[in-house]
Amino acid sequence: MRQVVAYLVAILTGCAIGFGSAVAMAGLWPGSSALAFGDVNVNDWRSDFAIGSEAADPYTRARVARHGLLALARSEAVYFTRATDDDGQPLREACIYRLSGGTMPAGWWSVTLYDARSMLPNNKDGALSIDAGRAGGGEWEAIISPEKPAGTAHWISSRKAGTFDLTLRLYMPDPAVLEAPANSLIPPRIERQSCTDRART
Amino acid sequence: MRRWVGPLAALLGCAVAVHLAVLHFAPGFIMGRAMDALAARGVALHRFTAPQRINPQTQSVVRSSPDLYYALCRFDLANPEARVEVHMGGWPNYQSLSFFDARTDNFATLRGIGKDVTVALLPPGSRAGAGEIVSPTTKGVVLVRRLAPDEQRFAAATRAGMHDSCSLE
Repeated sequence: MRQVVAYLVAILTGCAIGFGSAVAMAGLWPGSSALAFGDVNVNDWRSDFAIGSEAADPYTRARVARHGLLALARSEAVYFTRATDDDGQPLREACIYRLSGGTMPAGWWSVTLYDARSMLPNNKDGALSIDAGRAGGGEWEAIISPEKPAGTAHWISSRKAGTFDLTLRLYMPDPAVLEAPANSLIPPRIERQSCTDRART
Repeated sequence: MRRWVGPLAALLGCAVAVHLAVLHFAPGFIMGRAMDALAARGVALHRFTAPQRINPQTQSVVRSSPDLYYALCRFDLANPEARVEVHMGGWPNYQSLSFFDARTDNFATLRGIGKDVTVALLPPGSRAGAGEIVSPTTKGVVLVRRLAPDEQRFAAATRAGMHDSCSLE
């Protein structure tokens, strides 16, 4: 009888471990970090170029299904995500950030803010992203904050975003980005300017 | 000590089996739920549905871009004789026609900047000729993306979308 109970406990425990580990490792847990993973890392902007393709490993496939459904394969678009500022601190609604960059090696690009559920934050500010058209050629900058700052040409609203991340889309990426991303892409910088809770300013 | 070998082996075996099963079935399960959600929001089978501009109130798929026009068509090629004729009307800026199977793979993408694109989608196992694409699974979704980062261009993209079609033949 004790042996039967031991097997039963072992099977239930094994199933729980298998389920929990798969859910955790594939980023399927509710509220888990979104796409801040992958084997491509350029200044903490991370991507997995196997997204959308049959070559994607099971973990990538599951994670993308959860956080990036209907993403295009890399020949058409690549997606970089970053969840921390230049000091390595998590991006938070309580802080104001200066997002800046230059020309991107792609036919079109955008940077969009998503909350921890991989959804656009539930506000009606109409300021969810910046893209190549609005940024214009050359150097550009945008302010990320919960309230629109005065005198800012480009604003991305973090109102109701909580802890968030940014996704950089590069559509029609230059071949060099796919071959050697660290050498061909200078991704946007994210400078934390201030926070409402002083401890992390 | 020996009496624990069997239960430990069972624990390990179950853990590995369930781990792999979750990874294997998760994409299809999530895609299925997403397709159900899209159907509930009015995305039709074998027809492109005129989309609303993406914003926090209208979003239904994770990480949608507010700068793009997305038109979706769900397909079902359960009948081996079936084919879905897909046409994407012209658009002067970036636009693409992409195909996703039931496992979330993006198995084909056709770019169509400034031109129309027409293609036929065939059931799994079919032999593809010119202008034809074979779907790896019977069910999936076709997606038109158009660059439309403001209200004016989204309205223009919607007018261009009137020339899109996705029909079961």
